[in-house]
Amino acid sequence: MPFILDLYTILHDNWLLLLIGSYPNGPLGGIVCTLILSVVGIGLAFPLSVLMAMARLSPWRLLRWPATALVYVVRGVPLLMVILWVYFLVPVLIGRNVSGFTTMLCTLVIYEGAYLSEVVRAGIQALPRGQMEAARALGHSHLGAMWSVILPQALYNMLPSMLSQFVSTIKETTLGYVINVQELTFAANQINNQLLTKPFHVFFILAVSYFVVCWSLTQLTQWLERRIASKRRGIAPKPSTKARAASVTLESPT
Amino acid sequence: MITFSNVNKWYGDYRALTDINAEVKKGEVVVVCGPSGSGKSTLIRTVNRLEEIKSGQLLFDGHDIQAPMSSYQLNQLRSRIGFVFQSFNLFPHLSVLENIMLSPMKVRGIRRADAKTRAMELLERVGLSAKASAYPAQLSGGQQQRVAIARALAMEPPAMLFDEPTSALDPEMVGEVLAVMRGLAKDGMTMMCVTHEMNFAREVADRVWFMDAGCILETAAPETFFRSPQHPRAQRFLSDLRSH
Repeated sequence: MPFILDLYTILHDNWLLLLIGSYPNGPLGGIVCTLILSVVGIGLAFPLSVLMAMARLSPWRLLRWPATALVYVVRGVPLLMVILWVYFLVPVLIGRNVSGFTTMLCTLVIYEGAYLSEVVRAGIQALPRGQMEAARALGHSHLGAMWSVILPQALYNMLPSMLSQFVSTIKETTLGYVINVQELTFAANQINNQLLTKPFHVFFILAVSYFVVCWSLTQLTQWLERRIASKRRGIAPKPSTKARAASVTLESPT
Repeated sequence: MITFSNVNKWYGDYRALTDINAEVKKGEVVVVCGPSGSGKSTLIRTVNRLEEIKSGQLLFDGHDIQAPMSSYQLNQLRSRIGFVFQSFNLFPHLSVLENIMLSPMKVRGIRRADAKTRAMELLERVGLSAKASAYPAQLSGGQQQRVAIARALAMEPPAMLFDEPTSALDPEMVGEVLAVMRGLAKDGMTMMCVTHEMNFAREVADRVWFMDAGCILETAAPETFFRSPQHPRAQRFLSDLRSH
C-alpha cells in the first residue's frame, strides 16, 4: 500500500513535468515532447520512405544505388550511433549549434525513413504484377501507375506495419535522453534526481506511461489488421458507405 | 490493323517466337489457338509492348510499335490498344465505376463528368449498371472480366486484345463474358483473342491462327480449320480436344 501511496504522491507533485516538461519556463518536454518527436518524425519520414522505396525499385542505378546504400548503412548501425554522429557532425557541417530536439528529429527521420522504405517496398512488391501491367496497358506512365494504382493499395495494406514502426519510434525517442532532449525519460530522470530515494517508483511510472501509449497503438494495429483482412475478402464495406454497401450485399450473387 | 512482319522473340537462349508473319485486318476477329506454351500469350503481349521483341516489325493502326519513341508516345499508343487479361487485373481499391473512369481521366484528361457518363454507358453495354458502386472483390469472376472489358473500351481503342479472357473463370461464367465479346465482334470491333473456347472461335472468328513452339503453323477460316486442318500438329491438337 505505501508503494501505491508513494506513486500517487509522485504523480500528484510532478504530473505537469511528466506531461509537458518545464514548459513554459523551458522547452516543451515530457510525454508531449515524446509524442511530437514521434509524430513529426514519422510524418516526415513517411514521404521520404515512399521516395526511397521507389528509388530502390527504380530501373535507374543512379537512384537505386544511393537509396540501397542508405538502407544498408542504417540497418547496420545502432540508432544511438546515428544520434551521436548527427549531434557532433551537423554543427560542424552547418557551422552553428543545433538543438537536441532538432538533432533527434533529423536522426529519426533518416533512421525511420530507411526502415519505413523497406516496409513500403515490401508493400509494393507484394502486389500482383498484373496491377502494374494493367495500368501500363491502359496507358499510364510508370509514375502515374504508382500514384493512382500501386501506392494506394500498397500503403493501405502496409498501414499496420507502419503503425508498428510508429510504436518503435516512440520507444526510440528515449535515446534522445543522451543528447539532453527533454522528452519523457528526461523528465522522469529529473524527478528521480530531485527525490533521490525513489528510483523504483519513478521508473515504474515511466515504464507504465510508455506501455500504455505503445500498447494502445498495438491494439489499434491489430484492429486495423483484422479490418483490412476482412476488406480484402470483400466483406467489409468502405467506411461511410454503409447504406450503399447494404444494397450491394443484397444484390450480390454467391 | 495489326501487322507482324518477321517478329522474333527470345527469352535468353529460348526462342519464344519464330518469324511471325501475320495480319489482323480492320474489323476482323482473329482467334489464336494452340497448346500451352506455344507462345500465344507472348505473341499477343508483344502488340502493346508488355513483351519486347528481338527483331522484326509490328504495326498497330499504322504506327510502328517498335519505333524509338518517348515514353509519353508509348503510353499514348498503349492507351489506344485495348487489352483484357486472363486474371482481370481490376484495381481492387477502386469501385467498378472508378476503375473505368480512372484512365480516361488520368491518361486522356477527360473531365470527370464526361468520364462518368461514358463509364455508365459502357457498364450498360456489359450488363452491369447495377454494380457501378460495387468493389471488384464483391463481384464474381465473370462480372469482373466484363468490367475489365468495359475499362479497356473506355479508352475507345480501335482494336481489342484478349489474353485467355475466360481461362480463369468458373465454367458457368464463361458464357456471360463470351456474350459480351460476341456483341463487340458484331459491332465491328477488330479483335485478337487468345482462347481455348473453340466454339467461340467457330462462331465468331473470321480467321484462326494455330500456334505451336513459337510459330504460326496455320491460318485459316474457322470452318476450314476445324473441318480439315492442314498441319499435322493442328490435326493432333484438334483430335486431342475432341477426345474429351
